[in-house]
Amino acid sequence: MKETCPVETEQADAILEGYPHAEASLIQVLQDVHRAYNYLPCDVVVKVAETLGVPLAKVFSVATFYKAFSLKPQGDTIIRVCMGTACHIRGGGALVDEVERLLHVAPDETTPDMKFTRNTVNCVGACAMAPVMIVGEKYRGNARAVRVGGYLELGGDDDAN
Amino acid sequence: MPTLTINGKKVQSREGAYVLEAARQAGVEIPTLCHFEGLEPWGGCRLCQVQITKDGWDGWKKMVVGCMFPVEEGLIVLTETDEVRETRRVVLDLLLARCPDTPLIRTMAKEYGVERTSYVSNPEPTDCILCSLCTRVCDHIGVSAISTADRGAGKEIAPPFHEPPAACIGCLACAEICPTDFIPYTTSHTTRSIWGREFEMLRCEDCGRAHITKAQAEHHAANRAETTDVPQEWFRYCDSCKRKQQASRFPAVPQLV
Repeated sequence: MKETCPVETEQADAILEGYPHAEASLIQVLQDVHRAYNYLPCDVVVKVAETLGVPLAKVFSVATFYKAFSLKPQGDTIIRVCMGTACHIRGGGALVDEVERLLHVAPDETTPDMKFTRNTVNCVGACAMAPVMIVGEKYRGNARAVRVGGYLELGGDDDAN
Repeated sequence: MPTLTINGKKVQSREGAYVLEAARQAGVEIPTLCHFEGLEPWGGCRLCQVQITKDGWDGWKKMVVGCMFPVEEGLIVLTETDEVRETRRVVLDLLLARCPDTPLIRTMAKEYGVERTSYVSNPEPTDCILCSLCTRVCDHIGVSAISTADRGAGKEIAPPFHEPPAACIGCLACAEICPTDFIPYTTSHTTRSIWGREFEMLRCEDCGRAHITKAQAEHHAANRAETTDVPQEWFRYCDSCKRKQQASRFPAVPQLV
């Protein structure tokens, strides 16, 4: 399960500098690490555990519990297709199939060129826009399978901000 | 000392006790799977659910988890009502769906009238009921070599990165506390293996039987010797030789007549 170790830990050192070395800092540190590396490299996870004085097993437990954390390298753009009830009824399944057809990757896997990672999520809380898929930061409501290719091409920069 | 009523019987309980403890003290049986006296209550298995009420509640009753609900003066506890039995039956029905081949779960479910689960049986049967006793006892010893990983349907007990855990001391506490004997290990007079690690055994200086791992004694010396007041000497002999030594000293003990 360990992947792509070893890795440079300087960025992690800088992140750890900014937080009190206590268990309470764990999630914030992991979030920052995830942002910096785009995943949680196992060397860094070990380092975080040692520095914060938290057992490695606890850090592993937290890192695997939250969908926001990944122990595998992620693609530049993360595609999340909502699998909630409302989206399911309004054709979320077709979006999943279309993403799979275009990218040829299984759920939670990344394309070989590291451009896209495909995730499914249980609900993104945007049922009024069902079916929804999120490309990077961009929410695509009333999504249609025929438009999925276009969404991927346009990429995931959020123009709302 | 709060006085409460359990199934119509007046019971005096320890201040700060939980309903489960008070009930067991009074000889009332409440089934549990995730409870262990030496560990903090967890409330994970939901089998110890009971109903509580009080005078002045107009007969209104509330379902609570026995192992985590603190006793209080005047509390009325009901452990065998139809609602309680039905709640436990559903819990066991669900557990049986997860662990269809586990003898303990099958026996307990049968006691509540569940011969076969009414849910979809787990296509990959497991004996692990995710009670977390193993991870909690490991934390309690101060080792924390294993933890829960993932969540929801994929949740499991695992060492970090699913690799042999460096922190493990091979004490077998996790395997022995497991109510369903899910955690595999082998142990002999020379080595013990658990979680993919191999451990060297320490032998009793008297009979030569292997009794604990070297890593366990070292962990004790480094972390536990001060707080527990148990000297390193304690590990030189196995339990049965220690008993023999103790017994041989008895004749010399002055008799209290």
